[in-house]
Amino acid sequence: MSSSEHPVDQPALQQPPLQPPPGGARRLSPLTPLVRAPIVVLAVAGGSWQSFLNGGLGPSSVAVLGLLAAGLVYGVASWLRTTYWIHDDELRIDTGVISRQSRRIRIDRLQGIDIVQPLVARLFGLAELRFDTASGSGREGTLAFLPHSEAVALRTQLLRQRDADRAAEQVPGDGGPAGGEGASSVDRPPRELARLDLQLLLLSTIMSPVTVAFVVGGVAMLVGSLLTGAPLFAGGLLPVVVGTGIAAFRSFSAAYGFTVTESDEGVSVRRGLTALTSQTVPLPRVQGVVVSEPVMWRPFGWARLEVSVAGGGGHVDDSTFSASTLLPVGPRDEVLRLARHVLGGEDPTTVSLVPAPHRARWAAPLSWWTLAFGHDDRYAVSRRGWWTRRFDVVPQAKVQSVRIRRGPWQSRLGLATLFVDSPVGKVSVEARHRDPVEVRRLMLELVDGGRRARRPAQPLSGNDPAGQGFL
Amino acid sequence: MGPSLPRPPPRIDDVDDLFAPPEAAWRRVSPRLATARRASALVMLGVLGTVGLAVLWMAGAGAVWLGVALVGLLGLAAWQWWFIGRVVRRWGYAEQDDELYITRGALVRTFVAVPYGRMQYVDVAAGPLDRMLGIATVHLHTASPGTTAVIPGLVADEAARLRDRLTERGEARAAGL
Repeated sequence: MSSSEHPVDQPALQQPPLQPPPGGARRLSPLTPLVRAPIVVLAVAGGSWQSFLNGGLGPSSVAVLGLLAAGLVYGVASWLRTTYWIHDDELRIDTGVISRQSRRIRIDRLQGIDIVQPLVARLFGLAELRFDTASGSGREGTLAFLPHSEAVALRTQLLRQRDADRAAEQVPGDGGPAGGEGASSVDRPPRELARLDLQLLLLSTIMSPVTVAFVVGGVAMLVGSLLTGAPLFAGGLLPVVVGTGIAAFRSFSAAYGFTVTESDEGVSVRRGLTALTSQTVPLPRVQGVVVSEPVMWRPFGWARLEVSVAGGGGHVDDSTFSASTLLPVGPRDEVLRLARHVLGGEDPTTVSLVPAPHRARWAAPLSWWTLAFGHDDRYAVSRRGWWTRRFDVVPQAKVQSVRIRRGPWQSRLGLATLFVDSPVGKVSVEARHRDPVEVRRLMLELVDGGRRARRPAQPLSGNDPAGQGFL
Repeated sequence: MGPSLPRPPPRIDDVDDLFAPPEAAWRRVSPRLATARRASALVMLGVLGTVGLAVLWMAGAGAVWLGVALVGLLGLAAWQWWFIGRVVRRWGYAEQDDELYITRGALVRTFVAVPYGRMQYVDVAAGPLDRMLGIATVHLHTASPGTTAVIPGLVADEAARLRDRLTERGEARAAGL
């Protein structure tokens, strides 16, 4: 079923442009050319203004002005030639100054629509829309830029139409499109699930492994330079200080104002200091969660929550937080509460964990006492790691395959490892270094449990074969 | 590790049970896979060995050293021969009602269960040497990159049958993500 629908999922890239319905095509914000290349415009304008004041235009500033003019003309042309409209059940985007492209996005295939506001766009009150159709290729289409209110309105309109389309083609009583109770509840006011405390964010940034390693290294270098009397050490420190500072600030600014809300489409995350990002994780596509606790967070009881989402996520540009981070840092209780919510309400911490046998210490000398695995009829869970302790959860119904692996060293020790495979992402449930008899029993139980968990759930319509992108 | 085991393993203890199929016996891959792999391994070793010996000889190594190198090379070839045989003998698959089971590996052994409903698609591939020997590789893909469901060395007819069967079962049992 999945493979046969494959061609339909791919956004059509080079289809012949279709005539828009009269009056139906819309344009982006006329400010788009300015926002697209703000730094160039500012630099060029600043530079030539200076030389203009200094008495006339030199040849270089003429060239620069020419470039600016050309850029502006291109920008305006590109703006003029970019239109979008909704036709039946498709969103169509026509772009291209010289070679024309027409992109069609099937509305009922939309998995999520993110609103992103880079800094400059924010100053002009503009926003970019990014469409996620779970074809896995990441960039399915964007509209940049629209006035913010228009972007929000278009998003709502598209999602409402999607829900209506899906409801129309869906068997009644099948759970609804995105875990919601009805088709038209896009309007329901979002409920806040978690908000990142500013103080906590600052503290946890300071307490991150990078910062601690940096401070330790810095102290060592200072001591070294004091002992040898060579200031070189201190000099060499400066780029490192700046680099670490920038990295810390980037992660701080990406997580700033992190708010998790519940909406009809799933769980939405809004965050960002300079650039605002808003993205939505549809709950039915959640493949698992992982709660991780770095060693320096544990005395304070802080944890991080990440999820695996089928078909991408992670297509947001800044690398500091991928779309999979649901809460960068928070009190453990709150993180677990959110995890429970994302998984559909049932508590994964009630699954009883069985530790690995004592002889696992020869296979994992640094973490053997942390290894534990458990499963019940809903979840498979595992705990492991000392430096960063992690607790991985995969719902039985989402398990892709179950695998046993035994290396030569494990074979000597009489151990084996069980892997519960889930789609690409941060989550990996593993029962490391356990007794082979137990591993085999666990495997057969998981296979059986997965079979039972999958059976009642018929495939949701509009659920794409999301794995294709990375295979 | 014990001696190379024919199937089914004669020594029944927990370690061997670990890699036994849940119900029926493993279907093994064709011994022609060993032929293909041995041929390419020997060609590779032959080329590298010739170059290595030539370099040694030009560097002025005596007959004794050349002899030692040659014996080492032959030993390596013999070991490869044996090891490939073991890998191929250990590769097996079993089709059950709802899952495909695959076992593989000589040093690192694995055993994977892939529910048919989780299959995204099935690949069949055969290189030139494979085609000469009439064998092919079937590769099952799920949404997880961790799923290593590869069955090489299937006789062409069996490969086609398996692909069709898997596709058919996959469609019948397709589950949403």
